[in-house]
Amino acid sequence: MKVLEARKIGELAAALSGAGWRVLLPIEDGNVVRLAPWSPGAAVRTDVVPVNSLKDALFPPSEAIGRFGLDGNDFTVKEAPVDSARTVALCVRACDTAALGLLDTIFNWDFPDAFYNARRSAVTIVSLVCTSADEQCFCTSVGGRPDATVGADAVLRPAEAGAKLIFEPLTDKGRALVSAATALLADVADATVVADKPAEVPQLFDRPAVTKWLGANFDSPLWQDWSLACLGCGACAFACPTCHCFDIQDETTRSRCVRYRNWDACALSLFTQHAGGHNPRADQAARRRQRLMHKLSYIPERFALVGCVGCGRCERACPAGLGIVEICQAIEEIQKVPAR
Amino acid sequence: MNVTEAIRADAARLLTEGRARMVIGYRLHHGRGVPVFLTAPERVDSLYYGPQCTLNLAAYLSRPEVRRSAPVAIVAAPAALRSLVVLAAESQVPEGSVLALAVGPDEYHGVVDAAAAAELLRTRYACLEADPDLSARAAELAAMSPRERSAFWQEQFARCTRCYACRAACPGCYCQRCVVEKNMPQWVSTAARGHGNYAWHILRAFHQAGRCVLCGACESACPQGIELMLLNISIAQNVQEQFGATPGLDPEAKPVMGTFRPDDKDEFIR
Repeated sequence: MKVLEARKIGELAAALSGAGWRVLLPIEDGNVVRLAPWSPGAAVRTDVVPVNSLKDALFPPSEAIGRFGLDGNDFTVKEAPVDSARTVALCVRACDTAALGLLDTIFNWDFPDAFYNARRSAVTIVSLVCTSADEQCFCTSVGGRPDATVGADAVLRPAEAGAKLIFEPLTDKGRALVSAATALLADVADATVVADKPAEVPQLFDRPAVTKWLGANFDSPLWQDWSLACLGCGACAFACPTCHCFDIQDETTRSRCVRYRNWDACALSLFTQHAGGHNPRADQAARRRQRLMHKLSYIPERFALVGCVGCGRCERACPAGLGIVEICQAIEEIQKVPAR
Repeated sequence: MNVTEAIRADAARLLTEGRARMVIGYRLHHGRGVPVFLTAPERVDSLYYGPQCTLNLAAYLSRPEVRRSAPVAIVAAPAALRSLVVLAAESQVPEGSVLALAVGPDEYHGVVDAAAAAELLRTRYACLEADPDLSARAAELAAMSPRERSAFWQEQFARCTRCYACRAACPGCYCQRCVVEKNMPQWVSTAARGHGNYAWHILRAFHQAGRCVLCGACESACPQGIELMLLNISIAQNVQEQFGATPGLDPEAKPVMGTFRPDDKDEFIR
């Protein structure tokens, strides 16, 4: 087995960077920790869930998906290059890799998305088993596990109270990292280093039961109560590893046009605003309902997947502390009340 | 009686007597003070007040769901009371529609309306002490060359993903349609990059000039940790120096950026 000294994570990043990879790591920046490109001297922090997810590296907040030249009435289509720089994302949480199943499906559903797919095939994902969880974590309630390896190319398992990291390649991409980091990955006899216990994340609600209730309660008056605190920003959607909605905007000057794909969010009132003035999601209750419905009813129905991975970022990012769990628990409570 | 208990008692009284149809306060959830909306006096036990309660609840006063529940009472620290006074001055809270359960750093002041809130602020909290670290950072920024300052803000705004949590958490941001949502044509680039991010934050800060009460809600709300208070305090200091105005002390005050005086000290505007 291969073992890395945890304090040498920066050296691993340097080695991989030297071998031509763009390296992403959770890095401290002011008062937040963000999954961001590593550079020498960066402060790596693996003790908290980063504010952003791996999604940003595959589907960035804003990207140019079209370029056009304009000359009077003439119009020329120019190349909009895809980003296929070889990238390795280190210390990615299991919830983030779990989200890839849905993102891969969505971005190849009715149309293979060249921009997403280029980044996706160029990335090597090294996950980190969670040995601690905070009050917002709930991966086990939506089918995940703090030590799940689905979607990862290699996994780092903390050992000796986090002083060491057992490096376990899972795919060819994962194995390809080994040769670039030979000096850092010590070969030790199997079972001489024992992995720390994964975090205990209690299951907080019965997800299939919630999905069932949602399917029958689009018109519940409870949506009003559950949405009063929602301020109508996009913090939850943007922090979410699975939220994938976007807006397309052409930014045009006299001679050229750049077509941008920008993140958008169902909590924002403009999201469904029609040009004629009508908004089919007229109030915040309808918008917040959409978020829950999409994740836990429509996606399960359409793809047999769950649209939430239980990372807890929505609650951490929400100015009002709103998340998924409280509503799901309330739904479960309702179902326990015997019908009269 | 501690502050939490006093708030519960007053909330129950307001709801029972019908002086408020809804009380917006805080409850403790996962170590944070998060908003709770009460319409029944039996539920006031969920109310909590403590240092974890930093969201400015005046942000909810412009929401249609809340307006429909008027009269409404909010739990408000001095900064939120200032927001209430600004909103009253800007005709955003019809008279008699909003009360506040006023809390100071160490004490509870009871139920006030906008006029009484202004009086309390003038007598007890006229000079809110700015965080010394923040003031020092603002001084550092002021000492930079315009080019250095611009580079500092570009680097800060590069973090912005345009989630608009800053706007959502701000009681002063109540425009029915924000300037970034004016999209026929699109006035401000909504791409989360360079010039659009810069334009967004500077526009918002300017729109708040003379109105920002320095509550810190925008910075607390920012998931990316952008130092928005540094921008706000720089502008607030400027407003103080140039116009002698401290927003949120006088419900009759005319907005600094929305008034014209024939005796303005600057030649160009006369």
